[in-house]
Amino acid sequence: MPEQRKSFHSELDEIRDEIVQLGALVSEFIPRGTEVLLTNDMQGALALIEADDQLDALTLRIEEQCYNVLALQHPMASDLRSIVTAVWLTGELERSGDLMVNVAKAARRIYGATLDPKLKGLIERMSEEASRLVKLSLDAYVERNASLGAAIDDIDDALDAIHGDYIEAIFESHATHDLGLQAAVQLALVGRYYERIGDHAVNIGQRVQYMVTGWLPEQTGAARAKARASFELPADLDPLAGGGVDGT
Amino acid sequence: MGFVFGVTGGATAVIAAAAAVLAFGVSWMVAVKVVRRSERSRVYDTSLRLGLEQPEDGVGDNIEWLMMAIDRSVREMRAESVEAGAENSRLQEAMDSLPEAVLVFDNGASIVGRNTAAEVFIEARHSDALISAAVTELVADALVGRSSSRTIELFGPPRRTVVITTNPLKSGSGTGAVAIIEDITERRRLEAVRTDFVANISHELKTPVGAISLLAETLLAEDDPAVADRLANRILSEAIRVGHTIQDLLELSQIEIDEPAEFNIVDIGDLAAEAADRIRPAAEQASITINLTGSASALSVRGDRRQLLSAISNLLDNALKYSDKGSAIDVFTTVESSEVLIAIVDRGIGIPARDIERVFERFYRVDQARSRQTGGTGLGLAIVRHVAVNHRGTVDVESRLGEGSRFTLRLPALESIDPDDFGPSVFDPEIFDSNQSSNLEPGRLFS
Repeated sequence: MPEQRKSFHSELDEIRDEIVQLGALVSEFIPRGTEVLLTNDMQGALALIEADDQLDALTLRIEEQCYNVLALQHPMASDLRSIVTAVWLTGELERSGDLMVNVAKAARRIYGATLDPKLKGLIERMSEEASRLVKLSLDAYVERNASLGAAIDDIDDALDAIHGDYIEAIFESHATHDLGLQAAVQLALVGRYYERIGDHAVNIGQRVQYMVTGWLPEQTGAARAKARASFELPADLDPLAGGGVDGT
Repeated sequence: MGFVFGVTGGATAVIAAAAAVLAFGVSWMVAVKVVRRSERSRVYDTSLRLGLEQPEDGVGDNIEWLMMAIDRSVREMRAESVEAGAENSRLQEAMDSLPEAVLVFDNGASIVGRNTAAEVFIEARHSDALISAAVTELVADALVGRSSSRTIELFGPPRRTVVITTNPLKSGSGTGAVAIIEDITERRRLEAVRTDFVANISHELKTPVGAISLLAETLLAEDDPAVADRLANRILSEAIRVGHTIQDLLELSQIEIDEPAEFNIVDIGDLAAEAADRIRPAAEQASITINLTGSASALSVRGDRRQLLSAISNLLDNALKYSDKGSAIDVFTTVESSEVLIAIVDRGIGIPARDIERVFERFYRVDQARSRQTGGTGLGLAIVRHVAVNHRGTVDVESRLGEGSRFTLRLPALESIDPDDFGPSVFDPEIFDSNQSSNLEPGRLFS
């Protein structure tokens, strides 16, 4: 029996190491995709789109390993939460990688458009911020650091702010410089991709919180909904006045 | 008869008793002797087995001797193992001093040895985790006897190129593998510098010379004075251009060989003002303002006045070239922890992150297309760096595309400067705030 527990824990460690590897691949993708976009590197774009297959393969492998452990070892309590979190994280990370593939594809679509330096600078900053968030969320995961996991939501505000400036800069560039409408729309989408990577990092942070404490931020909202349902708040106090909540 | 018998019987009993005592005594002595002999032979055997010196016959207590001998040999063995340990730790220390990371694996692919540089790859995160994963893959190959090597490009940041080499180990105690991880980023960069330098210098010198000879050829065959005039003007401007390049090259090579003996005391504040005055006419043409903010105290350094002036002028020239029309250039001079510091801040186009390390190279251009338009020689920042090195100082740059650049030149201050007399810090936000002409939020630049 003790022998089996040991192998179970080494399996958990293995899953953690592979998640770290997946995260490292994703955080490499971010500066790589940004360079493809900023230097019009079509070969680099193709290489990145192809490299995504490697990321997908690793994602599948980790998922399968998690299912095996779930089925064969019947983990409980924090071990169970670790496995469930790992499954969640693979999804978040894989999606973040896909978003960088989208950036590479956008680079192909806007090929030939000249970006003014301000836009380029803001793209660089969004990229750095997004990659920083992914790395921080993985630090929180490896260190099982719930407070760092919770803090990522606040740290993400910086990326959101740069994203706002970036959208403004696109309008400005479209109005005053020769940035075509098509390129402007593509660039706006690119900004959205970086911003979404930040959101995925926030999700990872929340999942880490769950792994360590068993609590998710969404539970506050769920508790509110439950309280509303059982106490029948008067309509003037209920923030959802008149909507959706069935009193019975 | 009975008495006789009795007497005889008594004598017999006495004799028997005496004999028994005698027999016992003899047998005891024999036994002791046997024990002694067997003890000695065992001591002999043991000492033979342990490879010890033979005990001399009859010397004291043999057991005592053996124990002393064993004691001695244990001490010797201990000393030997300490020596072996010292040998091992010497080897480990030698491995630790290697810049490359070395990992040794046993036949089960578990790590059995590593040096200090390899520690980052144990439970690695982020880009190091990718190196770790590649090592694991290659070691699996090495354990079945295949040597291999792989180059990995990492975007980081920082950007790195590493080479992983794995080899099988076939020592006496089972097989294993060794992995060596080498960071070749710097080597790659130097190779790029060398090849780019050759390409760029031929471009910078051959292009104007080629243009001059072509234009002159056309001029020879030209009769129309208006066209001839235009051609001559083109020849002149190309000649001026190549002249500048040669002048800068000469200056650079002179700075490179200059002896520090010519140094005297120079005030950086005065130099900055002089350099700013020189460039002001050109700045006014582009309606760019130059603001000087200096510390009240003297900013003396030991150095070559001409070289330092050239460095500051080059930085200002650079800021001017890449500034947008109507913007401002700020020049700060101050003392910061025994260094005199001069910072030149522009709000120009900025430098892309991937080029920032290379801008101090000779002839390096961020944007080849723009270089002819700005008319620089591509040597300005190389001169600045050499002047800084000559004065045991440094020059660095922070920049953001579309926001501007900040070049900071740091030079060791003269020791006579009172350490309490620090001027305002260049990075003091108040200085930024006080700069009304700036169209940037103070905290945002390079945040």
